[in-house]
Amino acid sequence: MDRRKFLKRSGAVLAAGTSGALQLPVLTSCGTGSSAADRKSPLAGRKWGMVIDLNRCDPECTACLEACRKENNVAFHNDKRWDIHWIRKIRVKNPANSWEKTVPVLCNHCENPPCVQVCPVQATYKREDGIVIVDHHRCIGCRYCMVACPYNARYFNYKENPEWPNKDYPKRSHGVAESCNFCAHLVDQGKEPACVTACRKSGNRAITFGNLKDSNSEISRMIARAPTQRIREDLGTEPKVYYMGL
Amino acid sequence: MDITKWMKDNQTRLIAVIAVIILAPLVYSSVSYLVAVRNGPDKPFLEKPDAKYQDCVRDTAYMRIHHMDLLKEIREEFVRHGIRGEIRLRTCAECHTSRERFCNRCHETVNLNLDCFGCHYYPEPEAAVQQALQGGEEWIDESS
Repeated sequence: MDRRKFLKRSGAVLAAGTSGALQLPVLTSCGTGSSAADRKSPLAGRKWGMVIDLNRCDPECTACLEACRKENNVAFHNDKRWDIHWIRKIRVKNPANSWEKTVPVLCNHCENPPCVQVCPVQATYKREDGIVIVDHHRCIGCRYCMVACPYNARYFNYKENPEWPNKDYPKRSHGVAESCNFCAHLVDQGKEPACVTACRKSGNRAITFGNLKDSNSEISRMIARAPTQRIREDLGTEPKVYYMGL
Repeated sequence: MDITKWMKDNQTRLIAVIAVIILAPLVYSSVSYLVAVRNGPDKPFLEKPDAKYQDCVRDTAYMRIHHMDLLKEIREEFVRHGIRGEIRLRTCAECHTSRERFCNRCHETVNLNLDCFGCHYYPEPEAAVQQALQGGEEWIDESS
């Protein structure tokens, strides 16, 4: 047998072997019939966004922070090394004049999210409705996203969370990164995020949440009517959290 | 005493001892293997589903082998595609009231460490726990 013939034959044998081996899992796997790809995702056609009116936001009020903690089981160890904040309030000052404001900062749900780009395992991803979310099952805890996020919105679970106030929503285990997800579980049910509800109930109605794609929604009209800013627009991340009076 | 001379004198005995040393583990392992094959594996006793149970979301044969595939599939659909289906981890808890006596029994037998319930809540009603403590449980033998 010459070299050419030998290669041809061994190639054929190899191909036959491989196809046989590949068929095995296909034949044995017993799927439930319909895969996610067959069904239409219910998320399409929407783009969730948020407007925070800083003129209304009371610097002393912490209703949104507490509501978020309660709804999403966000860990609070009373130690700034380990505390996790999905939404936090920071004080910004202009040293040139006496301008000072307290700004609630949360994940900005960027259109071009840096955290999604750096995630080595695609645990962080942007849903079709624009919510940037972490699949904690897949997160390996590398913390690239924390480095990449220009808003410092990502936090890492250095410790197990001992509290579990909302049993309807899972906790996160030790060793995964997490951030605000616009209360995706509530939004999917047609409700609004916990911070928005809390702000309306016990705050000053500073936060508005809605569909940016719908030009008739309250949030779209607000953005069209009044000047709004987003944090670090120069980075090109296209955040979906808008601020009024920043 | 000259060791070579002693070995020569007791040659047969020496061979017999070495043969026993070599063969004993082989014989022991094959016998215990055969016994194990005959008896089958130790099957865990799982809790019967709750009284209101009628049908599982899939048939029992499928669930026994593929429940993890089903769970992974619904997880993928929900987490990645936002499709909230009928089946959830909570749905299991409606009939299989105790995770300790349903999920864990089997997983412990096959030495599987799952961390689902570190983050996901599995409601364990007080009644089931009380029943377990009093020993008034009904068991289903999975091997039957």
